[in-house]
Amino acid sequence: MTVIRVSTFLATGAVILGILVLAGVLLWLAARISPGAARLWGGLVDSAGEQAPFLAWLVALTATLGSLYYSEVAHFVPCTFCWYQRIAMYPLAVILGIAAFRRDREAWRFTVPLAAVGAGLAAYHYLIQQFPNLSGGACSEGVPCSAAYVWRFGFVSIPLMALVSFAAILLLTAISVAHARRASVSP
Amino acid sequence: MTTKNQAARPRAATPKKFPVLPVVGGIVVVALLVTILLTFSGNSGATESGEPTVTGNALPVLQDNASDPAIGLPIPEVAGADFAGNRVTIARDGRAKVIVFLAHWCPHCQYEAPILRDFVDQGLVPDTVDFYSVTTGISATRDNYPPSEWLEREGWNIPLIVDDTGNTVGEAFGLSAYPFWVIVGPDDTVLGRLAGRIEADNLPALFDGVAAETAG
Repeated sequence: MTVIRVSTFLATGAVILGILVLAGVLLWLAARISPGAARLWGGLVDSAGEQAPFLAWLVALTATLGSLYYSEVAHFVPCTFCWYQRIAMYPLAVILGIAAFRRDREAWRFTVPLAAVGAGLAAYHYLIQQFPNLSGGACSEGVPCSAAYVWRFGFVSIPLMALVSFAAILLLTAISVAHARRASVSP
Repeated sequence: MTTKNQAARPRAATPKKFPVLPVVGGIVVVALLVTILLTFSGNSGATESGEPTVTGNALPVLQDNASDPAIGLPIPEVAGADFAGNRVTIARDGRAKVIVFLAHWCPHCQYEAPILRDFVDQGLVPDTVDFYSVTTGISATRDNYPPSEWLEREGWNIPLIVDDTGNTVGEAFGLSAYPFWVIVGPDDTVLGRLAGRIEADNLPALFDGVAAETAG
């Protein structure tokens, strides 16, 4: 029952974060073509730019701790794709933490590739959960990647939570980089 | 000394800081509220399971659909019950059988369940073949739990044995993946086993093939 409660908590957080990330991405896209959206985007960059590295670290840390909860406390055995996503996320929790503490404006060179690869893996993992046929016609008795340990609200699984986390890290990194550039060109 | 130009120049507005604490705190509070609302119940958390008994030798695990070491071996016998407590027995009784093993969390089993239900509803199971199902791999922490509610939603109409938390019945039949099929001839030996889902179009051929063994 505790696992279900933790999963509900994390899934709810992922849904809210996902909505915020989607809104941020749409705003960024709209800013390319709309002056009004560009002003809003600029306002977001100005207000959140300094804290964005810290927020990105918070997301990575939460994702890492959540992943460890599932394997070490709930005793979910990670499947192959879970391991690949862990390989992308766990270093981010360290790198982003150091970058936030040191106010390192160049850390994006390390974090963006990791987060992008992780997002791709999470997206594919979620896809084979939605369409298990892509990964074969049977669930192996061990840990098939097509089966979901967690499936809250009819669509939130662990890979989707990971995808939202990677996307949030990418968006926050973009905000941080944009803020650094604006700061370097402003008089 | 301040010059007129410096006095006239408007000060750049300081951008408002992003409200980190309210936003993060808000997400946490909402998530907690949703969690409490959705998961607070009197459920003790005990895993739904059965208490089947198995007699006879276990079949070797099926490693490869194309090469089954269990062909020709006698099946173990199982005495168990469904979720309503109705006794169900898989016995060496001289009748051909098809036994399907399903796990509630397996998406392929979830896909297969309504196909099997419809197959039975349409009266397509030959009279000379007994069709059994076993719900195994039961886990309270995995998707689509509890299996009793899943099968009730599906309108399950196949005699069912609920396996225990140790997957005793599944292991006795050499289960390697879900869904898992054991085809038994009228001599109570294994005709074949299969891991994976079977599409609706292929079910008649499977059951007709088993029925043909009884005519031979």
